[in-house]
Amino acid sequence: MTATAASDKMTVSSMRIVLARWLVTAVLVVLAVVTLYPLIFTVINSLKTRAAYSADPLGFLTDITFENYLETFERMKVWRLLLNSIITTAGGLVLSTVAALFIAYAVTKLKMRGGNYIFLFVIAMLVIPSQVIIYPLYETILDLGFGGTYQGLILAYAAFGLPLGTYLLSAYFRAIPDELIEAARLDGAGDIRILFSILLPISTPAIAALSILNFVWMWNDLLLPLVIMGGSEKKTLMVGVALLSGQYDVSIPLISAGLIVALAPVIVVYMLFQRQILSGAIAGAVR
Amino acid sequence: MAETANLATAPNRMAKRDPRREGAAGSRRVFIRKETLIALLFVLPGLALAILFKLVPLLRGIWLSFLETRGFEDPTFAGLANYRTMLADPSVHDSFRNALIAFATLPVWIVLPLVLAFLLFQKTPGWKFFRAAFFLPYMIAPIVVGIMFRQILAPDGPLNAVLRAIGLAPLAIEWLNGPTSALLALTAVALWSFFGLGVLTYLSGLSTVSEEVVEAAKLDGAGFWRLLFHIIMPLLKSVIGYWAVLCTSGILIWMFPLIYALTKGGPGTATVLPEFLVFTTTFQFLDRGLGAAIGMALFVFVAIVSAFVVRRMYVEGAQKK
Repeated sequence: MTATAASDKMTVSSMRIVLARWLVTAVLVVLAVVTLYPLIFTVINSLKTRAAYSADPLGFLTDITFENYLETFERMKVWRLLLNSIITTAGGLVLSTVAALFIAYAVTKLKMRGGNYIFLFVIAMLVIPSQVIIYPLYETILDLGFGGTYQGLILAYAAFGLPLGTYLLSAYFRAIPDELIEAARLDGAGDIRILFSILLPISTPAIAALSILNFVWMWNDLLLPLVIMGGSEKKTLMVGVALLSGQYDVSIPLISAGLIVALAPVIVVYMLFQRQILSGAIAGAVR
Repeated sequence: MAETANLATAPNRMAKRDPRREGAAGSRRVFIRKETLIALLFVLPGLALAILFKLVPLLRGIWLSFLETRGFEDPTFAGLANYRTMLADPSVHDSFRNALIAFATLPVWIVLPLVLAFLLFQKTPGWKFFRAAFFLPYMIAPIVVGIMFRQILAPDGPLNAVLRAIGLAPLAIEWLNGPTSALLALTAVALWSFFGLGVLTYLSGLSTVSEEVVEAAKLDGAGFWRLLFHIIMPLLKSVIGYWAVLCTSGILIWMFPLIYALTKGGPGTATVLPEFLVFTTTFQFLDRGLGAAIGMALFVFVAIVSAFVVRRMYVEGAQKK
């Protein structure tokens, strides 16, 4: 009697556990569908003909066409926009990281009066977002003669990426023992050599995290390139997409193809660096 | 600071006491000066960037907010006129009211990623896939997200098709055309593109929680929610605080591309947030003075919120004494 009651209880509680597991999985699956569906929907639309789309906007693919991609490439001048995005993102990324490396080295490894104040000043610039100073920033870039140029956008990207880079690299350099630098100095290494051939290789994880973060926001940013480049030849991919979607004669399949082209490079980066990104280095880095 | 100051003055005192050591002390001072010089040289490029493209524009923005600028005419000094206009302007009120309404959704922004992170943390089957899937939207440009969701939220789009299919036809409305539903939709899309970062942030916080703590609580019979609210949340207090700050500043300054793509601020002013108003006032209505004044008002809020992040960074990255 008691034995069966106990086993009944066991099965009830184990059933509850199984049920809870299924419920959890179901919730996660629904959320994953909500997360991924908009992307799948856009991919499907980008492969539909205009006629197929207007006949059945929500349906699955009946036959695949690459017309929309060909038209996007021609109409948006995608190659040129890609080149612009690559130049400005790479320029901003490199300049921002190098400037941050120098500051981080100076404030953590060199004897410097007020090093902490300089560190504080640079990271405090984080409280000034581009959105609130967008016109005066544009004016300043114009005054420097960089309006509508790659240099203008690169310098702005570098400046806005600097606080986070300085913080990340400083925190990382702090953890590297000073003895290592003293030893290199006794061997006759100068500061530049210590920074680039000793500290830089050790700091690869921090620099990787920083570069991924900077790549994502610089590549994806709209406001700075929109204001600095406007509709010029040097506009970035995101500005191109924004302007394309504003044109009245553009079909949904065509826009969808434009969107896929714009997000493809980021997806490639995500696939390549999945491990680094998801391991928490990024989230931990922002923290 | 105090230490370096001592280093610089100590040789001086020694030199006075013992003239024979003057040579050594002198070279020590030269050495310090050379190092300081190099340090200054090293911080120069970064400082120039920060000053030229952040501090100077901020100061110019403050000055601009005191100028009367109409169209392309030369600006004239106008004192507080722009601020007075701003305080009386209904669209400014609307934009800040909209931001307040968006803030009301913050609990969802904070709790949803936490629940998901905790589920993944317990190594639910397929957790690696879910983690990758949830983070994907964060990688996609907000402008792309916005244009994508214009189709999803269209009156005959997939969202409404699903609602009709599951018998919720009355909910299948013109999402971007009603004032309340448009703001709600905008916030929901922002959450869609942003929650994955929260999941990762919480996961990296959870990785510091020892599994024994969780196991012990389970043996004591704590259910999922009790475990989450009474054990995990107190342990993650600082991560939750950090994430809340990030979400708050996100609502204030990361919505521009979404608004630009989804609603352009409409219907009426229903989805105008302060950052979007700065942009339209400056570039559409060409009232740069008023735009700068609104920008400064927004800046005060953003600065207060992000000062918490800066403080945290400073504590972690500054020289410890």
